[in-house]
Amino acid sequence: MGIQIVIDNSGDSRFEFDPTDEDAVAKATERFKELTGLGYTAAERTASGRSRKVTEFDPTATEVLFMPRLVGG
Amino acid sequence: MAMMVGTLHRLIGRRQVVCGSAQVQPCECDTCVSIRAQATHCLNAETKSRILLREWLSPEQLAQYEESALFEVVGSKTGKRYRIHHGRLQNVYELDEEGHPIRGWCFMPEGGLALAMGDVMLAQKIALEADEELAITAAMPF
Repeated sequence: MGIQIVIDNSGDSRFEFDPTDEDAVAKATERFKELTGLGYTAAERTASGRSRKVTEFDPTATEVLFMPRLVGG
Repeated sequence: MAMMVGTLHRLIGRRQVVCGSAQVQPCECDTCVSIRAQATHCLNAETKSRILLREWLSPEQLAQYEESALFEVVGSKTGKRYRIHHGRLQNVYELDEEGHPIRGWCFMPEGGLALAMGDVMLAQKIALEADEELAITAAMPF
């Protein structure tokens, strides 16, 4: 199962999808495009625990996190 | 949670006493219901965010965070080290080679004041590790 985690004011919202299910992958792809289009940064964890930016939807990625665009404080 | 709600009720001084018994029930006025709902929402968001942060920290970062309420990250472009303290605002410091803070960088995800603290810290970690240039471009030095 893949999971997309979106940071929001409820903590986070999680969307799981089956990478072998075409419809589910299509919805996950659409969500990826929509969020990154809104300025969200998508990232995944590396094996070492660091983070890596993701710019293209990858159905094999097990966990991708989306965070809102950054602003200065 | 029950203790938090109890504290809220004591603070706002509103309780309903059921007639003919000593039972005290939570006030159901709109204000109290709203405050309870908000408290539950905030508590859940904070709890979720801290779980998520812990899941995404490396073992070394998690150890630092548990010991000192801060953790260090390495910038993706320059290799500089940054220290992220427990907090939302003015909590990110660039370190020199000896690990001393030399400059603060203030940035957060859009809407960050409404986000749970763990989520803000996680976004700061990801930003510096995944796209340091973007983070520093958005940040305000202090």
